Amino acid sequence: MKLFVESSDVLPLVDLEVAFPVGSLQDPAGREGLAQLTGHLMRRGPRGISQERFEERLAGLGARLSVQVSMRTTRIRATVLRRHLEPLFELVADVIWQPALRAGDFAKLKRQAQAALIARLDDDQTLGALCFREALFGEHPYGRSLSGNAGSLSRIGVKQVEGFYARHIAKGSFVVGLSGDVNESEARSLVDAHFPSFRLRPHKTPAVPATRARHGRHVVIVDKPERTQTQLYIGTLGARTRDRNLFPLIVSNTAFGGTFSGPLMQQVRAARGWSYGAYSRLLHSNQRDAWYMATAPSVDYSAECAALQLGLLENWVEVGIKKTELSFAKRYLINGHCFDRDTPSKRLDARVDVELLGIPRAYFEKHDELVGRVTWQEATEATRARISTRDLTIVVVASAADVADSFERLPGVRSLEIVPFDRS
Amino acid sequence: MGTTEVLIDRLNAGVGKRNARVEFVREQPFGDALRLRRFRLGNGLTVLTLVDRSAPTISYHTWFRVGSRHERPGKTGLAHLFEHLMFNETRNHPPGDFDRLMERAGAEANAATWTDWTYYYENAPRGALPLLIELEADRMGNLVLRGPQVSSEKEVVVNERKMRVDDDAEGKALELLYRSAFRRHPYHWPTIGWMEDIRAFTVEDCRDFYRKHYAPSNATIVIAGDFNERTALSLVQKHYGDFSRARVSRPRASSKEPSQRAERVFQLEVPTPTEKILIGYRAPAFSDPHTPALVIANEVLFGGQSSRLHRLFCIDEELALAVRGSISPFVDPGLFEIWIFLREGKSKRDALKLLDRELERLGTDGPSESEVEKAINQLELSFLHNMETAAGKAEQIGFHETVLNDGAAVFDRLVAYREVTVDEVKDAVRRYLRPSRRTRVEILAKAS
Repeated sequence: MKLFVESSDVLPLVDLEVAFPVGSLQDPAGREGLAQLTGHLMRRGPRGISQERFEERLAGLGARLSVQVSMRTTRIRATVLRRHLEPLFELVADVIWQPALRAGDFAKLKRQAQAALIARLDDDQTLGALCFREALFGEHPYGRSLSGNAGSLSRIGVKQVEGFYARHIAKGSFVVGLSGDVNESEARSLVDAHFPSFRLRPHKTPAVPATRARHGRHVVIVDKPERTQTQLYIGTLGARTRDRNLFPLIVSNTAFGGTFSGPLMQQVRAARGWSYGAYSRLLHSNQRDAWYMATAPSVDYSAECAALQLGLLENWVEVGIKKTELSFAKRYLINGHCFDRDTPSKRLDARVDVELLGIPRAYFEKHDELVGRVTWQEATEATRARISTRDLTIVVVASAADVADSFERLPGVRSLEIVPFDRS
Repeated sequence: MGTTEVLIDRLNAGVGKRNARVEFVREQPFGDALRLRRFRLGNGLTVLTLVDRSAPTISYHTWFRVGSRHERPGKTGLAHLFEHLMFNETRNHPPGDFDRLMERAGAEANAATWTDWTYYYENAPRGALPLLIELEADRMGNLVLRGPQVSSEKEVVVNERKMRVDDDAEGKALELLYRSAFRRHPYHWPTIGWMEDIRAFTVEDCRDFYRKHYAPSNATIVIAGDFNERTALSLVQKHYGDFSRARVSRPRASSKEPSQRAERVFQLEVPTPTEKILIGYRAPAFSDPHTPALVIANEVLFGGQSSRLHRLFCIDEELALAVRGSISPFVDPGLFEIWIFLREGKSKRDALKLLDRELERLGTDGPSESEVEKAINQLELSFLHNMETAAGKAEQIGFHETVLNDGAAVFDRLVAYREVTVDEVKDAVRRYLRPSRRTRVEILAKAS
């Protein structure tokens, strides 16, 4: 176990984080959503105290507790008034080492998770983002939804949760972080008093196969009735965390679609008013994650907007960014970097990311230097090497009858699939 | 001579223009360690400074006392559209320059409009302050409004409206709620405006709005973070000092909303998989002495997983996926909003019965002492969270200054919460959360 402390006595507030290198990538096939259900069932409290009483105690301490599960991590996070740190720490330790994992709580939690799957169909943006990952990655674990689906949730029982907890949390490696109004020796005493000293299994990163892009341009229409506006995602594979050309690609993407001044926002929003937002995102992970553009044009010109974006993308990849755009993006990233570390909890998060996600420490410590030395040639080559204009996934949430024909006619489209928004 | 007098003397030395002369108004404690200082320029511009060197960042806010309540029927959404237009061209900077210069400096710039105010902010590295002051002053006094930009921004706002309202079940319901709960008061119309009004705005409408509302005497600047106060004030004098104390059109007091004597119920059919109930009880203004007790009641009912209604609706009875409550922080009386996100197949009637029973119980028996203490702890936690960054502090100061005329009042709110008694909570619930004072919107799933 490693302990990280970021002290600051500016406010009488402490953030606590206990993070495990386990997430939805460890979900067994067919039981997607298991990691998240395990985290959320732990959140319902430790043995020997009812869930109701547990919540009362947390709230009485002026504390908030959440369990956040991602593809690769489970993070138990709490925030508490300084004066109540010790009892909160004890409570969180109990949640982690002696979770109740009651069958009755699980049944309710599962019904809640099933209801949440239905409720999220209301949110077109979330719906589009989920469908985009699914369409881009297909059967690859990166395409899974953290929350699973109706079928996978139905196959999960409390026994699977107990097993997942025992395998990955109870004896798994973890890191502890505290930030805010707490010093190193206080933090060490709390950890010594409340965290086990037993031998933990070393952390083993699950082997994840390389991601592969589907050849050609493929359109998926998520068919939802009565849409006046569409949610449009156009993308392909992005980067690996340890790619040598990651920073040149970050700079290049920032110049293209990472700011309000970039060509994507200027052409889509400023010049035409076609979408409230227009940005591109580069994600990186152990294997190549996603790169995508997101806009929300009206149904009247959604395909026209998609065509414009495809043109901008081709220009970006084939011609490259302008030298003035490169220098602009570098200044933006370097000058704005202070906001990645302006609170103790952000500084703590960065240290935990280094430890759990294998992000090189230099990405944080030498950020400005890594950005500053990117050349135009590196940025251009990285973009050409990583961003495909040929293999693209295009997902649009819309009423299919309004947009199907126009999207089918987009240049290079090989297939068009229509899926109902409420398919299980 | 005190240090502040010396500061003012130095700032005003050689400044001939009356509008650029700065006066010190007062200093107030802002928590244990910080001081909020109030200055005023000769042209009426209020400047609030909070030096806080805990991070090498600054937050620069400009709050205008103009929001959607200052519009009139047929011209709704103008305050919000205008907020968009402020990022365009000025006499000194071509279109796009504002964002380009801000982003190059590492600054995040954005804005927000609501019923009673509009504010613009930049969060930036500390060295960027001169640029922020120059660009903010420039657009306060030198904005250029032309046809192409107005047309393009109107289209952006049309798209924003589609996203936030027309295609969004919750947005649509909220619009219907306020339209129905307020019949006379301008809170009746949505801040984003009616679609037909947005489409009909002319360049002249926008110019007229700018002349009427964007003047130094209608604005407050808040500077929070790591900066030198003297340098900042001197730059404010230099860049804002040329603006005259323009005559700001003080809108007539908004029409008073007649009291509501019977429940109003509306149904909205949308393509949604889950039904929802949105309720608005007529609530007091943010400044009303009853508001703190209602805030405590809200915490007892909806604040976190141990709250009464979360427990009942989401855990014990499994009627809803989530429940939410909030009080509109408006200058005039607004609404206490309640959302119930029902689970598939659950009955609206059962949900409403349960809600009424619990409100009745809280109004009769009140909260327990421990519930009140819990609520105060939670509010304190939220308060501290809001104060973590320079941006959070500046926003709290700007909001309280604009709504309560006191930037440091955020601390008084916390004191007021601590002083709320069980009986005051009971009284507030009985007085405000009665079925006859509410408007209800039921979101129904349209058959496909």
